[in-house]
Amino acid sequence: MNSESRGGKGPELTSFPEGPGFRVVGRSLPRVDGTAKVTGGARFAADCKLPGMLFARVLRSTVPHAVLRRLDAAGALSLPGVAAVFTAADIPGNNAVGIIVKDEPVLVETGGRIRRIGDPLALVVGESEAVLEAALAKIKVEYEELPPVFSPLEAMREGAPQIHEKGNVQSVTRIKKGDVEAALAQAKFVVTHRYTTQMVEHAYLETEAGVAAVENGLLVIWVSTQNPHYDRREVARVLNLGQHRVRIVQAPTGGGFGGKLDISVQCLLGLAAWKTGRPVKMCYRREESMIASTKRHPFVIDYTSACDGEGRLLAVKVRIVGDTGAYASYGPPTLKRAAVHATGPYEVPNVFIESFCVYTNNPPAGAMRGFGVPQIAFAHESQMDLLAEAVGCDPFTIRLRNCYRTGSVTATGQRLTASVGIEETILRARARAQELGIWRGEP
Amino acid sequence: MEGGTMKKRGVGVGCMWYGIGNTGVPNPAGAFVDFLDDGTVLVLTGCADIGQGSSTVLAQIAAEELGVNMEDVLVVAGDTGVSPDAGATSASRQTYISGNAVRLAAQQAKQVLLEEAAEVLGAPAGELETASGFVWRNGERTSLALEEVLSRCRAKGKLSLGGGSFNPAATQLDADGQGVPYATYSFATQVVEVEVDVETGKVSVLRIVAAHDVGRAINPAAVEGQIEGGCVMGLGYALLEEVRVKEGKIENPALSVYLVPMSLDVPEIHTIIVEEEEPSGPFGAKGVGEPALIPTAAAVANAVADALGVRFYELPITLEKVVEAVHGS
Repeated sequence: MNSESRGGKGPELTSFPEGPGFRVVGRSLPRVDGTAKVTGGARFAADCKLPGMLFARVLRSTVPHAVLRRLDAAGALSLPGVAAVFTAADIPGNNAVGIIVKDEPVLVETGGRIRRIGDPLALVVGESEAVLEAALAKIKVEYEELPPVFSPLEAMREGAPQIHEKGNVQSVTRIKKGDVEAALAQAKFVVTHRYTTQMVEHAYLETEAGVAAVENGLLVIWVSTQNPHYDRREVARVLNLGQHRVRIVQAPTGGGFGGKLDISVQCLLGLAAWKTGRPVKMCYRREESMIASTKRHPFVIDYTSACDGEGRLLAVKVRIVGDTGAYASYGPPTLKRAAVHATGPYEVPNVFIESFCVYTNNPPAGAMRGFGVPQIAFAHESQMDLLAEAVGCDPFTIRLRNCYRTGSVTATGQRLTASVGIEETILRARARAQELGIWRGEP
Repeated sequence: MEGGTMKKRGVGVGCMWYGIGNTGVPNPAGAFVDFLDDGTVLVLTGCADIGQGSSTVLAQIAAEELGVNMEDVLVVAGDTGVSPDAGATSASRQTYISGNAVRLAAQQAKQVLLEEAAEVLGAPAGELETASGFVWRNGERTSLALEEVLSRCRAKGKLSLGGGSFNPAATQLDADGQGVPYATYSFATQVVEVEVDVETGKVSVLRIVAAHDVGRAINPAAVEGQIEGGCVMGLGYALLEEVRVKEGKIENPALSVYLVPMSLDVPEIHTIIVEEEEPSGPFGAKGVGEPALIPTAAAVANAVADALGVRFYELPITLEKVVEAVHGS
């Protein structure tokens, strides 16, 4: 249970107007979890202690592309305090997870493929956290290394090392509207640039953490997560249990920003608790969190935009390549969303957009606050300023000239019928910037 | 140069739009509401509150719909043993989608009471509302207390339970990318003022004006918090943060070498909440979680270009890149 939402009959809030009409919505009422968070009362997964609890840690690959030839855990098992070492052979169900594509092993099998530095190979379970580090060092691993590929542009070329069976291009999105080439030929101003964006880390305050226990035949996992019901599907499938026998309870979660949408500790904790019959706890250290978790997709964006002499957009042509690293995670929808949003909040009559989600042997990229749109916004907003310079107008004017209004049609052919606030945000931001003396241009 | 120093100021604009919910696929959420005997309320939702404040917002939506105070609502969230699937806390979708699910569930629970009240008052249920512990008819308070209606329901063996689910009206994109990928969009404009030290390359962000159309702000302070946090995350994206990967290996997997903005990096942020009501949103709400961050780096890049007359096509705009661009040219 989420112990933070404190209900109960509270005092009458006399400041509320009586009767129907908005009384609660639209008011800056205190957060239901606020007191617990600021007093330190919230119990995160890392704070949890259960009687007889074991601890677990993952052995991860140190090479980016290889076949796992041999894994020998005898040395680790001989250490006092080591309760078990689990490998892929111990997984009773389907050893593959992933929100869109099940392309990521929970633990890499012997003879199976390692696709990045940090792939999980074995799970060590011990009586104390102290014993785990030594146990990990005692596991012997033999790799047969494969040629890696780290550049998504190279990975798209023929003859590049293949990371997954179906090829390195995981998904392609194309959006066509009007006739881009004809519009470009006729436009007064055409601007073309390549934009590149970097890989970034979510850096949530709380690292991945959870505790699992078997209670009355049910597997209960208390975990920091953004999607407990997805976790349940994956844990049930991996452990070959009915979904009704897996209960995921979201622990108070110290941020996620998209990075806790993927499976991290859930399946491993479930495996360890189910097999040992004892509660098991696992908390990533910061370094492990940064190595193991997904990142924001680095993009290479080739962007051409064109306008007439007054700065009216005539065409936008965009090609986006996103490096999703070793696993798809939320890569396909990130690249699809980037394509859909590539024009920016502007009505453009002629559009051609292509986006590619590409596998490499880099750390996997997944969901991160904005899902590809912060990347593409950097490109479309730079382009708008460049067009404004070419036309000789200020940045607000060119945006107001092109922004969506009620009735506008987007690149995907969607007519916007209500709640189109972009113009209002431009006008109000400009007015405030003028009041503050930040913007000294025309009103 | 201002005042003979090596500092140059610039202003940049960034606009964005953002589709609420997953792209062109079904992404429903469900919720249950139990209007308890004493007029307090239990909301069961799969929606994971990860610090963004969804449990608060859902409590407000339930309280508003049922006419009770927020303190009288308990939201039990993110427990698959008791709560229905609400999908991911992602895509800025939970206020819009789970918010609608909770509202629908609350309406269903309330309907039980209103039908009972209609019998007592001899009035059509459609003319009745609940608020402040009483039943109201056409905006006028009646003498019928909510607890009395609840106890009449219980005496007849009627529980006041509701279940709701909501799936946004989106369609899959066809081969030409045509379709309705999202039911609604949020919009924003941010204006960023920077000061660039051309000697050291340091870009200081002085002030940000952030205007966000969120439909309706269910909790304005929470919306402002999201916008301010998003701006700061956007500054990190624009100027500081980069996971350095060499041959597949992360070279900086520690917060001592992977730099994120700290409190001293936070500029003055002027938030403006624009409320262009969304007819399909709960009380008109859309979302703000991701939009908060999206235009910031774009606006910073434009502000740096305005200050220096040199444009960067690559993020992040680090000190080294600024120095090289200024002195290398």
